Amino acid sequence: MDGIATTLRARAFSAEGLLVGALVALVVFFSIASPVFLTLGNLENIGRQTALVSIIAVGMTFVIVSGEFDLSVGSTLALAGVISAIAMKEIAQYAAIGALAGLATGAAVGLLNGILTTRLRIPSFLITLGSLSIARGIVMLITDTRPVVITNRSYFAIFGEGHFLGVPTPIVWTVVVILGGIIALHFTGFGRAVYAAGGNPTAARYSGIPVIRVKVISLTLAGFLAGLAGLVLSARAHAARPDVGAGLELDAITAVILGGAALSGGRGTVIGTLIGSLIIGILGNGLVLIGVDPSIQIIVKGLIIWLSVSMSRG
Amino acid sequence: MDLRRPGRAARWLGTAALISFGSLTSANAAGCDVANTLDVASLIPPGIVGSGPFGEAPSTIDSVKLTDAQAEQARAGKFKVGVVMQTMDIDWSKLVVAGITDTLGKYGAELVGVTNPSFQVDKQIAQIGDMIQLKPQAIISIPVDNTATAAAYKTISDAGIKLILMHQVPQGLKYPDDYQAVISPDNRGNGQVAAQILAAHIPDGGVVGIVDFGVDFFTTNERTRQVRAWFEKNRPDVTLKQVDFVDTTKAGDVAANFLTANPDVSGLFVVWDAPAMQVASALRAQGKDLPVVTIDLGIEAGIELASCGLIKGIAAQQPYDQGVAEAEAALQTLLGNQPPPWIVLPAVPVLPSNLTESYRQVFHEDPPEELVSACVADTGCK
Repeated sequence: MDGIATTLRARAFSAEGLLVGALVALVVFFSIASPVFLTLGNLENIGRQTALVSIIAVGMTFVIVSGEFDLSVGSTLALAGVISAIAMKEIAQYAAIGALAGLATGAAVGLLNGILTTRLRIPSFLITLGSLSIARGIVMLITDTRPVVITNRSYFAIFGEGHFLGVPTPIVWTVVVILGGIIALHFTGFGRAVYAAGGNPTAARYSGIPVIRVKVISLTLAGFLAGLAGLVLSARAHAARPDVGAGLELDAITAVILGGAALSGGRGTVIGTLIGSLIIGILGNGLVLIGVDPSIQIIVKGLIIWLSVSMSRG
Repeated sequence: MDLRRPGRAARWLGTAALISFGSLTSANAAGCDVANTLDVASLIPPGIVGSGPFGEAPSTIDSVKLTDAQAEQARAGKFKVGVVMQTMDIDWSKLVVAGITDTLGKYGAELVGVTNPSFQVDKQIAQIGDMIQLKPQAIISIPVDNTATAAAYKTISDAGIKLILMHQVPQGLKYPDDYQAVISPDNRGNGQVAAQILAAHIPDGGVVGIVDFGVDFFTTNERTRQVRAWFEKNRPDVTLKQVDFVDTTKAGDVAANFLTANPDVSGLFVVWDAPAMQVASALRAQGKDLPVVTIDLGIEAGIELASCGLIKGIAAQQPYDQGVAEAEAALQTLLGNQPPPWIVLPAVPVLPSNLTESYRQVFHEDPPEELVSACVADTGCK
């Protein structure tokens, strides 16, 4: 009996247990505080509102677990959306052309981040701080700061406004990315290499893990997924705006860290990241539902970050 | 492409049978019908609605127009003028600066520089210092913040440079010693135009949702204040509810949550066009068809208006003409003539019926292809 109790206590107080506990506590609280919180419509709200952060945060999980950082994802998202919109306008009105252009743009920014970080041996924090600015500048330059209007209705349906099996497509893409992320990080050799590269790069190198390649791939993946988020956002908005995505990198990093990842690398899970993203999203949604002043909402968000992080690391 | 035949999209995913396009087929029941019954002329407020920050009576932009003789004098003066913006990252600023640049060029004045502090107070303070070093005879500027930048703005008059302000006056500055004119859109007039268009779409006893910027910002405060005042005076049957966003990228999320908590809302006022477009996409995602009215004519909002979508009308500013008036006020000052303290550009009501004409008036260029093709005559769009 003692043994079981100890195990249960250990599990309940494990990082994941606390995280799930925090999520459940928020859900219970808002369900009591607002009659509409648990309605299907509102759950769709939360799904749509967390989609962008979740998609980006999965890529960020790979980057952070591999011991790197990506501050450029918000700008990359904007650039991918704009390139996608321009490609459809200038080349041909096919959703596939927009999608390929946008995703390739995202991946290219990520690849460049990866190559510069590993070849120049400059911390990715600094390299991506540069790309954050460069990508945003390029976006403003090629759009002349005006939104690029999208008129392709299949594009809207596939990425932003359609349904698949009754589920809004932004949520479908989120689920696809989460499942793909779980498989890649937790069930493949590449995933194990990501942990090794971030946990102890020297040991990893000696055991034959291509640390540089792993980091480059992780950063490329983060750029690619930022590109996907850019498609989702522009399809919802019917336009690619040059100013979107600013600050999203912080939301994504918050989700990953809330989800139990170590800033120093080597630790973190995709599920944890998803829960982190949901905690932020539910907080934003619930506090508006019960009519809390927006300034207070921002403070509460910070307090929840303190609380979750201190509990899961305590 | 017709959405009820989702061929291309479905082939692309290879899963035709599983896709539905429910939320996309919402037909916008009211379309342009109500908006088309409105008469543009009757929406224009008879005069300027708002007064200046110190209660000054408004003057029109004609008060600073240069006569032929003054134009000659100005050309002979070869004046130097600098511009300190709040940001250059938005379309509005570019149009204002285009108006200033064209006008200064027309009167042979030199534009010594345009600064972009990206809405940051510390940068703007530094740039005011930099601009003074370039020794212009006048500076045209919009303060990022009324309080924190006040001391920096005071140094402009101390350096013997004339100051023409946009929209607001930094604390403690006095007319006509510290600054020589403020040029502003009629923010309250814009609020009033928006309220009138929205009111036509709100049933008796309906509920209006106001989506406001939750930061204490003069322009948005004035707009929202007049929307409220107009409804309280002219449509007391209407209940006003409000939600504020602070993060400008999350206005759509905030509105979606607000609408979930307040399903009785029958129309929305959103305080400017970019968040209004986020609200429109949130409405589409929820499958809701509610009239949205906003302020500032942007290309996306224009297209939504043209296609009889969720945006039913817009109250527009005239940023290019505002820039023209600012340059003219600066030149008048340099010629030794004192412009009035509070010069205001009237609100422009934009409906489908005057859309392309309004676009030209606001942007001083032809509307882009997307807008023209979305604006089809059989819906009443012109």
